[in-house]
Amino acid sequence: MGRWHEITAVARRELRIMRQRPVYFIGSVCVIAFCAIFCLTFFRDGLPEDLPIAVVDNDNSSLSRNFARQLDATQLGKVVKYDTFAQARHDMQSGKVTSIIVIPEGMYRDVQSQRQPQIEYYLNGLYFVGGALAYKDILTMLNLTNGAVQREVLRMKGVNEEQIMGLIQPIQVDTHQIGNVYTNYGYYLTNILLPGFLEMVIIIVLIYSLGMELKYRTSRHLMQVSGGSIRSALLGKLAVFTVLFSAIGLILIVLLYHWMHFPIAGSIWNMFLAIVLMVLASEAVAIFIIGCLPVPRLALSIGALYSVLGFSLAGFTLPVETMPAYIQGLSVAFPLRHYYLFYCHEVIFGSGFAAWWPEVVHLLVFLFLPLSVLKRLKGAYINQNFPIE
Amino acid sequence: MDARKYIRDWFNDFRDTATHEFRQIFSDSGVLLIFFVAGLVYPLLYNVVYRNGVLEDTPVAVVDMADCQQSRRFAREVDATRECRVAYRCTSMEEARKLMEDREVNGIILFPSDFGKKLMNMETATVSVYCDMSSFLYYKNALMGVNHVMLSEMGQIQVERYSAAGYTAQEASQLIKAVPYGENNPYNPAFAYNIFLLAAVLLIIVQQTMFYGMTLLSGTMREERRNYALGLDHGTMINGRGALRTVFGRGAAYWAIYLGIAFYITLIVPALFGMPQRGSFWDIVLLDLFFVTDCVFFCMSWSSLIRRRETVFVIFLFISPICVFLTGTSWPTTAFPAFWRWFSYLFPSTFGVKAYVNMNTAGGDLSTASSLFTCMTLQTIIYFVIASVATYIESIVLKKMDE
Repeated sequence: MGRWHEITAVARRELRIMRQRPVYFIGSVCVIAFCAIFCLTFFRDGLPEDLPIAVVDNDNSSLSRNFARQLDATQLGKVVKYDTFAQARHDMQSGKVTSIIVIPEGMYRDVQSQRQPQIEYYLNGLYFVGGALAYKDILTMLNLTNGAVQREVLRMKGVNEEQIMGLIQPIQVDTHQIGNVYTNYGYYLTNILLPGFLEMVIIIVLIYSLGMELKYRTSRHLMQVSGGSIRSALLGKLAVFTVLFSAIGLILIVLLYHWMHFPIAGSIWNMFLAIVLMVLASEAVAIFIIGCLPVPRLALSIGALYSVLGFSLAGFTLPVETMPAYIQGLSVAFPLRHYYLFYCHEVIFGSGFAAWWPEVVHLLVFLFLPLSVLKRLKGAYINQNFPIE
Repeated sequence: MDARKYIRDWFNDFRDTATHEFRQIFSDSGVLLIFFVAGLVYPLLYNVVYRNGVLEDTPVAVVDMADCQQSRRFAREVDATRECRVAYRCTSMEEARKLMEDREVNGIILFPSDFGKKLMNMETATVSVYCDMSSFLYYKNALMGVNHVMLSEMGQIQVERYSAAGYTAQEASQLIKAVPYGENNPYNPAFAYNIFLLAAVLLIIVQQTMFYGMTLLSGTMREERRNYALGLDHGTMINGRGALRTVFGRGAAYWAIYLGIAFYITLIVPALFGMPQRGSFWDIVLLDLFFVTDCVFFCMSWSSLIRRRETVFVIFLFISPICVFLTGTSWPTTAFPAFWRWFSYLFPSTFGVKAYVNMNTAGGDLSTASSLFTCMTLQTIIYFVIASVATYIESIVLKKMDE
């Protein structure tokens, strides 16, 4: 029997197993579908709106009420009024409000007489996104208020509008967000979360599939079908899984950059390449793990620990450069990290092949991993000499 | 049957079940790996990974087309901020753009050629910032760094302009800072990523490792068609009558192990890494008691869906990262779509994490978590009923299959 026959025979056997065991379908297609629905609906708004901001108004003047109204009218903020600071602090500690603004007694009077009354604000940086955005909103409002007071005074003195602008705002900052013009959290997170879930699914499902041959003692049958060649056995299995996972990956890319219109500076075709390479690299990692440790339950536990850690070490939330040096080195061992770097070049900047080719090389290097464990895996499959339990 | 014998049998069965479960746990390498390697090492690993939770000195490129005294000073001040570091000075935008695409810098600051002239003419000058959005922390740093400098520079320029317009320094400062403000960020002063994330992740590790470990074991029992309620080798339990003692007996084993793990994770790990521990010790102990009890019944209920040992990872591993988002510590709860808010109520971590954050990290007293404790209690009761019913049904089904 030629190599080709062996491979197709294994692939047919694999398809039969998948039909008999729904867990493969649930663990891949259903899980990714669930995650896609989660990411696309959970961050639907892109930016949170109406974050509760506590205002303790000790002044209760037209100026302070106006300030609260203006803050309430911003897209980010929603004012919740409190009578005492103690109550407001209790609710901020409970996470019910993101921040507190304390308006001092007699603020209006003091502004009138230029006695510089001080507003204090308190932030809860433990509820991260809410706290950071409330901070931004409060700072903007306070600077606008200061500007408004100045404008009022200067107008009374008869200064013309052009000069007033120059006096109130000598420098302005204009910001350009490259790759995510709307500062959309949904775009930011989903772009990497979904491929991350795919990496997780590939590693777990493939370890499971290879491990079950050992657990149910079917590995000798597998080796029979493949004519005693571990290469044919793996290639046959991988043929089926690569088609399945690549199809899921390609659908994810189409979903993100075509149907959902996520911004992409480069070409969607290059992202197809990136996701297929990530699929192959993740498969290689899965084979490596089960090959090193041909005990299904241990390999699965290790695979689970590895793939959960992959999200952190991709560096798309907290950048890798903040991590200790040895962790930075470790991050290279995760396909998702290289996918993320590829994504930065292609989706954010659109700088093309010249920029991302090193990541292609890195992802291809993963493909050599399985070669180092072929012999060990073959031994385990034929001799079945590792504990199942 | 007399009541004394019933009670004695009940406790014997309870004890036997618990002992048997303990023996199961400690003779299963997969479960041990999850409970003691994942449960104990993962918190340490996360602490190491996120150790420096603050991104500092983000490299930026400066493109100074104005090349005047003010722009040079502005750039120097940006370089001095905690957030940014001027890594390159470029002569053109193309050059800076190239650096950004090569990821040598994560931001560009552009002074247009009229920057100095506009400042001389007392008009509004513009400085442009281009941010790399591949991580929001780059964006935050570039923007914050430039804005801090802008505000302080602006103050100085305003003083000059007001005095040029004939105001005294006193009058000018009263105008510029008509309403000064004071910033207080008591719980997480630098918006450090680790302080926020670790508090959330720690309790999720408790919940998820317990879930995977318990499910591995109950999957094994189902593969072997064993069920406590059908009776142990020397037990007295008979069909269907043993559901409650089974649930309590098995639960007790996990409860005991996990109280230890939870104390370690919530009390010792933060101390090891110098993370804030502002809560009262006994409040955290109380939280651990509630949370672990809740988790035991949560895990027992959901593990009844798993028929085979290893499938739990294939089907449920993805839920761990999702749980982090469902706690509401990153994406705010007020912005959850209604469906996901209800979905989040399925998990003990949704309430436990908030309670931990409020009490341990924000230093609140029990009252800041009282409603969360109520929710956890309700959850415990509901999951206890589900777990008991599931155990009862399973024993009936298994009995039928045996016959």
